[in-house]
Amino acid sequence: MKTVLFAAALLASVATFGAGAAQAAPVAYKLDPAHTSVAFIINHLGFANMIGRFNTTSGEIAFDKDAVQNSTLKVAIDAASVDTAHAKRDEHLRSPDFFNAREFPQITFKSTKIEKTDDKAGKLHGELTMLGTTKPVVLDVTFNKEGVSPASKLETVGFSARGTIKRTDFGMKYGAPNIGDEIQLLIEAEAVKS
Amino acid sequence: MSFLDDLVVQTAVFPLLAGLIGVGLLRFAGGPSRGRRLAAAGVAVAFLAAYALIVGVPALPPPSSMGRLFWSAVAGVALGVAADLAGIEPKRGSLLVGVWLTAALAWVAYPVLPGGLPTITAAVVLVAAAWFALSRTASQGSGAATPGVVLLAAALAVGGVALVGASASVAQLAFALAAATGGLLLWNWPMERHVWGTAGQAALGILVLLTAALTFFSSAPVEALVAVLPAFFADRLRDRLPLPQSTAGRAAGTVALTVIAVVPAIAAVGIAFLLSAGTEASGY
Repeated sequence: MKTVLFAAALLASVATFGAGAAQAAPVAYKLDPAHTSVAFIINHLGFANMIGRFNTTSGEIAFDKDAVQNSTLKVAIDAASVDTAHAKRDEHLRSPDFFNAREFPQITFKSTKIEKTDDKAGKLHGELTMLGTTKPVVLDVTFNKEGVSPASKLETVGFSARGTIKRTDFGMKYGAPNIGDEIQLLIEAEAVKS
Repeated sequence: MSFLDDLVVQTAVFPLLAGLIGVGLLRFAGGPSRGRRLAAAGVAVAFLAAYALIVGVPALPPPSSMGRLFWSAVAGVALGVAADLAGIEPKRGSLLVGVWLTAALAWVAYPVLPGGLPTITAAVVLVAAAWFALSRTASQGSGAATPGVVLLAAALAVGGVALVGASASVAQLAFALAAATGGLLLWNWPMERHVWGTAGQAALGILVLLTAALTFFSSAPVEALVAVLPAFFADRLRDRLPLPQSTAGRAAGTVALTVIAVVPAIAAVGIAFLLSAGTEASGY
């Protein structure tokens, strides 16, 4: 009897472990560009902060909700899509003074590690490549929600991320420090199951 | 904001003073014979100092076109100084500068080359214009004043076109080059003291590199710069003026040359402005 009970318990734990392992596999998602915003805030001569955004972003997430630390993220931002609601300034931002969009058309981010700090929050470690220079960056990430979107009827996950970088670390030195060196990043993203 | 962060200081005052002091120091260090040829290297050296102030010294190896521009300029200055110290005659020195400049243009512009037909056309036109400019300044006599004035006018044109085309750093750098050349010209007016030399040609090459950065990496209307090419013939018009062959006459001739050379430069900026007409004011 004891042997039977033991065997049953062993089988149950193997089944549970096996099921758990199957559920832990990361699931592929694609960033939904219509519901993804990559924005930045930068100080302008000490008078006020200027808000800008990039209008074209793409990316892939391999998301494991049961083992978030196994998730990965790759994002590419079109540097020429920078938008500060002023055509001449945007032209300047695309020039070699700032994003040098003709020479470096993409800004990329690739995750290296995810640290869970809370039930829905964590630190996203990754490498940001801009102007041909790659530097480590850490973003504070909040996992907002997952489920079937009532709008698109597709399985969707949503995140928010915040962080700060120094543009001079990437060789973008023009105008610093009068035009701020520190750039605050604001990212709101939805990704749809592939 | 410190004194050195001021736009006017970075773009005009500092490079002018650096050019003035640099030219003087090189002339002194080179002695009475070599110093006359070496002095013109002060223009390019002052430009490099201004670059470091305005943009910062780029990393080596440089990750971007502007970084490659800086290090190309360093190589050009080194080549010019070495050639002048070795006493290489001007036409041969110009040939050396032409080879350096062609290689530097390829290095600065390689991310967008070969590109489509417009890019290739722009590259060919740029190389041709560079060789033309070098050969014209080499044939303008050995004195520093005439090619210096032409370089100053052309640099003002490139700066103006860059400003219209929303590339402020290239504008600042071109204006700084003009100011540095002004430092040389202050030494050479009313009396010419220095020889243009290979290092002087290298300074002209630096302007071509700035033009390349504008052409390939910005949306500045660089086609307007074709209007500045007549500035390279300003000496021929000056030579037709009825000026006496005296110190005062030569001094007046340099002033006249400056006015004549600056007219096409102003025209180039005006054309650039017209080509950009309808765009809103700068967002700075």
